Amino acid sequence: MVNDEKRLSDYIDRLNEEKKPKAHENSAESSEMEELMKTVRKVRSLKEPTLPGLDYPGKLAENVAKQLSSKPAVKNKKWTWIAATAAVAAVVTLVLTLNFVLHPGGIDIVYAMEQAFQEVKAYHGVIEIIEKNAEGQKTTQAIREVWADKEGHYYVKELYGSQTGLVTVNNGEKKWQQRTDEKQVFIFPAFPDPYRFTFELGNEIDDVKNAAVVKTIGEDSVSNREAAVLEVTPKGGQPYRIWIDKETKLPLKRESAMFNSIQYTVTYMSIEYCDVLPKELVAYSIPAGFEEIDKNPEQLVNSIEEVEGMTGFTPKMPKEIPQGYERDSIAVANGMKTVKLNYSSPDKRNRIIILQGKEEGELNPASTAVLGTVNGNVAEIQSPVQGDYGIIAGGGVYSGITDISSIRWQEGGFEFAVVGNVSPENLALFAESLTGGPVVIPKGDEKTYDKPQIKVPVDLEIEENEQKSADAGHSPWKLDPVYVAQVFASLKISPEGIQGDYPVPYEDIRLIKNDGVDAVAEISTAKATVRRVYLKRLIRQDSTGIWTVVGYDPVSPE
Amino acid sequence: MFQEEKLQKAHDGDLKAIEEICSLTWEPVYRFVYYKVQNRQEAEDITQEAYVKAFTYLQRNDVKIEKFIGFLKTTALNILRDKWRKKKRLGSKVNYDEISPAETAVDDATEASTQRTVIQDAMNKLNGEQRTVIELRILKGYSTYETAKIMNKKEVTVRVLQYRALKNLAAILKSYD
Repeated sequence: MVNDEKRLSDYIDRLNEEKKPKAHENSAESSEMEELMKTVRKVRSLKEPTLPGLDYPGKLAENVAKQLSSKPAVKNKKWTWIAATAAVAAVVTLVLTLNFVLHPGGIDIVYAMEQAFQEVKAYHGVIEIIEKNAEGQKTTQAIREVWADKEGHYYVKELYGSQTGLVTVNNGEKKWQQRTDEKQVFIFPAFPDPYRFTFELGNEIDDVKNAAVVKTIGEDSVSNREAAVLEVTPKGGQPYRIWIDKETKLPLKRESAMFNSIQYTVTYMSIEYCDVLPKELVAYSIPAGFEEIDKNPEQLVNSIEEVEGMTGFTPKMPKEIPQGYERDSIAVANGMKTVKLNYSSPDKRNRIIILQGKEEGELNPASTAVLGTVNGNVAEIQSPVQGDYGIIAGGGVYSGITDISSIRWQEGGFEFAVVGNVSPENLALFAESLTGGPVVIPKGDEKTYDKPQIKVPVDLEIEENEQKSADAGHSPWKLDPVYVAQVFASLKISPEGIQGDYPVPYEDIRLIKNDGVDAVAEISTAKATVRRVYLKRLIRQDSTGIWTVVGYDPVSPE
Repeated sequence: MFQEEKLQKAHDGDLKAIEEICSLTWEPVYRFVYYKVQNRQEAEDITQEAYVKAFTYLQRNDVKIEKFIGFLKTTALNILRDKWRKKKRLGSKVNYDEISPAETAVDDATEASTQRTVIQDAMNKLNGEQRTVIELRILKGYSTYETAKIMNKKEVTVRVLQYRALKNLAAILKSYD
């Protein structure tokens, strides 16, 4: 009996894999087992059949022609052109297949993924998230159904897990979350959207594209699909594995590294591609008996005059809207203190927001930001936005979203910020149009700083290990040049170690130069023995690189 | 009209015509075979075999095939019956050449549609757990491990459950006959 149960289960598995079961070959089965297998096939017939690959019709024609031409009854052997075409096609297929499977650098796979995703308009799948601990015990954290397109619109429903029943939708105009248990619908701004459902295909492919190293490490089967397995090492992160469907060339599964004794595996248990998201899923409506709770902090207005009436000032408008963009809307946020001008590209994929309001205190750039200038004024440039300061704090949730950049400055008694999911260079176009003056974004290779009076020797091997440690999530303070300067300057005062509060407070340190590679911090603490600290990103020169002290200026004796 | 011309060329051994007919007609044949075998690997192989046999027959016999797709489906069906008979070792070995597919060419049947209604009706007669395990394992294609996770059971329990569910379902379907 147990054997029969296993054989039947194996039969089901084999059909699920779209492979010919052993039972369909010459092995004999009992009539009872035959009946059960027939019943399995009947149930499966309720589903749409799995069609062969796109190349099947060609292969079919080629194989049929070959077999017929080898039979003596065939009258005409006019197959030279077919053979030639077939041979070329076979070689191309073989080369592409080998390239896909064997290419050590993985670059062709990444390219193939990008190309494949370009053809995708929208998709629908069921994602499973499994957590595994160091003992190997697995727990299903969540199962969710997702519909998503390339414009950033999505519908996500939690099918299993602690948030079963929760539905989150963003249709580009509005974002809402429906909580069935509480009978509430929460409204949020559609952009920027800090919510990212795990394993969104476009983001996954971008991560692989921007990784430091990608290599093919093997093959596997996932959700009845043959897949190539890649090991991806991101800049500033731990390596992870991703499974790519051999046929569609799109991601199916991702497995993180074991970190703090936990490993996550995210898998598309099923996925299909479509043209659009079903209208009924992304149309906003409040179910009967549900309460609407508006968390959107902004209010749309129809004209500049309305803005003046609400805020008490006339907002500055860009002289020209940069090419490729159009204005979407105007809004007032942050208790009527901030004006938001919303722009987007026609396909809505790129979005820019200009924020402006009366300045409230000094600029105080984020310590992780690059310092440039806008129309001669010091500007804080973040890419990605890691700190919501000044007018950005009042404009919405921006920090923590990896594809959002910002330029912020003060001018004429007002504070301005240009924020968007584009590069700082593109944001600069809006800033220049707004102020009429040039925007300078330092490149990081310019020699603009004085040399330190005293050089600090550096052990690169130690710094490399520190970088790896930071990549693994340890000592995140090393990514902040102000923190690194604070520790250095404090240890100069208390070389035996720091107990309790730092002798040099964080607030007493100001970055006077930061181009993303070199930084200079100035310390104003009275008892400090160091006036300036010179720092450099020695190992990696982007936002994931740690800062290292390379020199300092001592306090001049009076 | 064009099909008749192409079929004539295929009859004369024109491989380009054969290739074109394959490309234009494969899908309904494949779907018909898939319905019977319920896996892609076999469906592809048998579809190809059906085309080879059908064209071979066409070239050896001077017949007019009115409905070529129906003819292909009958050919495919005979291939399947041949395989099943060989497997069962029952009755005499079927010689394909003794059968005249041209005389038995059939159109698309609505049998499949009726069958679906019957199967769905039978499934609705199963208890909740049995219906769920069949839906997850067969319709959604989940593994026993995944199904066990969703149903909060052990894998061995899922195997027992699906076996009993299919036995019940087979009995219900038999009672409809």
